[in-house]
Amino acid sequence: MRGTRRIAVVSLEAARLRLYPGQKATDAFAIAPELVTEDTEPEADAAALEALVDWCVRYSPAVAADAPDGLFLDITGVDHLWGGEAELLADFQARLLAAGLPFRCAIADTPAAAWGLAHYGRDGTIAPPGGQLEALGPLPPAALRLDPETAAQIGRLGFRRLSQLFALPRAPLAKRFGKQTLMRLDQALGRTREALSFRRPPTPWIARLAFAEPISAPEDMARVALDAAAKLCARLEREGKGARRFELYFHRLDGKSPSVAAGLALPGRDARRIAKLLTPKIEAVDPGFGIEVVTITASEVETLSGRQVKLEGAAQPGIEDGLSPLIDRLVNRLGEDRVWRAAPVESHVPELSAGRVGPLSPPSEAKPWDPQTPRPIRLFRRPEPLEGVIALTPDDPPTQFRWRGQLHRVRRAEGPERIGEAWWTREIEDVRVGHVRDYYRVEDAEGGRFWLFRAGLYDSDAPARWWLHGLFG
Amino acid sequence: MSDFRRGALAALKAKIAALEAGGRACSASLPFGATAIDELLPGGGLPLGRWHEITGAGLEAETGAAPATFAALMATPLAARGEAVWVFRRDDLFAPGLSGLGFPAQRLIQVCARDEAEALSVMEDALSTVGVAAVIGEVEDVDLTAGRRLQLACEKRGATALVLRRSPFGNAASRGAGSTSATRWRVASAPSEPPAGEFGLGAPRFEVTLERCRGGRTGAFLMEAAGAYCWENTDGAHPLRLVADLGDRQLAPAQHRHAA
Repeated sequence: MRGTRRIAVVSLEAARLRLYPGQKATDAFAIAPELVTEDTEPEADAAALEALVDWCVRYSPAVAADAPDGLFLDITGVDHLWGGEAELLADFQARLLAAGLPFRCAIADTPAAAWGLAHYGRDGTIAPPGGQLEALGPLPPAALRLDPETAAQIGRLGFRRLSQLFALPRAPLAKRFGKQTLMRLDQALGRTREALSFRRPPTPWIARLAFAEPISAPEDMARVALDAAAKLCARLEREGKGARRFELYFHRLDGKSPSVAAGLALPGRDARRIAKLLTPKIEAVDPGFGIEVVTITASEVETLSGRQVKLEGAAQPGIEDGLSPLIDRLVNRLGEDRVWRAAPVESHVPELSAGRVGPLSPPSEAKPWDPQTPRPIRLFRRPEPLEGVIALTPDDPPTQFRWRGQLHRVRRAEGPERIGEAWWTREIEDVRVGHVRDYYRVEDAEGGRFWLFRAGLYDSDAPARWWLHGLFG
Repeated sequence: MSDFRRGALAALKAKIAALEAGGRACSASLPFGATAIDELLPGGGLPLGRWHEITGAGLEAETGAAPATFAALMATPLAARGEAVWVFRRDDLFAPGLSGLGFPAQRLIQVCARDEAEALSVMEDALSTVGVAAVIGEVEDVDLTAGRRLQLACEKRGATALVLRRSPFGNAASRGAGSTSATRWRVASAPSEPPAGEFGLGAPRFEVTLERCRGGRTGAFLMEAAGAYCWENTDGAHPLRLVADLGDRQLAPAQHRHAA
């Protein structure tokens, strides 16, 4: 079996010559010597499908890929934007045709029925609401998305049409063809729900703007960003919500849809503020041959009650007046990891004792740092090695050391403060006494204050290693 | 000085201050609580709503430990009035260390900028925000344009900026030719004096030179962070305590020689 080249997919013309997927390539060449083959690239196919799924967001936010070559588009509640299901389907087909993609599509109440119609029915079928039974009736059993063995067995028993299968009593059907068949049947007829894994979590918070003429000027793009945001924010306001994250998609003529995103530190719905955060990022978006549709989605939507009018303490500015917009501007300009507040972490290892939290997150529950154990104001990410360290006895602080080529004579010293590693987080074999650090706070003759440590316990064979870990002012 | 001359001088000073403020209300000041310093500064304290420059000497131009400590101590009373923002390019600021100095490190917003221009623009942005009382920025150089922009941003809301001159990645320290800062302080660590009979280090001490002071006079001092590394609250006293006035050190022998 190994090393045999097989056919993965055949074109319509090849199918007419009775070539089929899974056939040995040599056999196929024997039947059709003029056959042209290309190596299959499943990764590229998957990427292309993903791009197509992204493109489909222009129709509805809920798109699910159906690997390897299909996709589900949930058009519940969006078809009226095109004037009806038939118009939506016509628009969809026209665009796919223009993009040169071969396709078959169908609209039905349930994903399973739509799948069956698209694969085995007439292309472009629209099953009327509740009409799956009639629409699916004349299709072969394979239209139920069954595995090939079951479908073949159903065929062997003489069932050529799904209508015959629909007429069977349920219990014998399940007994003979397995639960899977029954489940697919129920899914197709809408008796049970089918879970689709959508590309993006479906969000009801979406707004869409379509243009009569494609736009490409940066100022137009900035303006439509504001318009789209205003449309979405009006809805958010009506329902008393605010969102932390907004994503704006530009659907280009060529089918690509680049996006920009903006985050807020506190949930908000001020369209102008959101547009202001998005505008600088829009400059980097390539409009290509033009943008015809813009969609904006809001995520992390939270309830946001209207602002209370302050009765007292009006002189004290609230966080949402100044600080929160400032944080938003900084985070969106510099990136999320460049703006933070330090929060205590309950760890005795100095470099781990200060964590980073979001600038407006609530104060942490951890025990605050103890001001009575002096810590340096500058902590080096990597301790710097010290040379020429002279200490009188192994446990004494050094009397002099050389750092960056300069000799420092120690005048006063404090310590040691022994800090061990967090041995309980490692395997017991990895724990070494050499990981113990003895910290000293020393002051040299000029007044420079240093935080240095000796690594490991005293060992008469090996010279002690000293490091500088931080500087006090 | 007669009362009349003193009065005339005060009136003139007020006039100049009003001209400098450009018609805006005269800004407040933050006294150090030591007359030796406060009398040198215009308005009897560190002028708020202005920007101040803090530099270090030698290796401190790169590490900036003593200037950062000094800046944190100066900003501590301001941080009680509003938010504080610290802007830098190299994120080696250690919050527990700030906390030990009495600075509310958990409330400090830290911003790591990618380059010099970004650091300055973040400072400007923060200064013109409602509710921000102090902005500390570590930048290499503030030219005249940047200085003027900082000043305008400070005047918008009355926030105070402390600029630490630091070349964080070890470039040669640039020589600040002209500067529009209200004050410039040169800070170096000084040997500490623990109380008699105690081991170890005393409270951190600094040799501080007020090199430039708009509308005031210059001087040099030995200062101490009395409240560092202890729980005790200093009851609203300025965290920097004057230990000695070093200002007339060179002047005094010269006068003596003149007399002799």
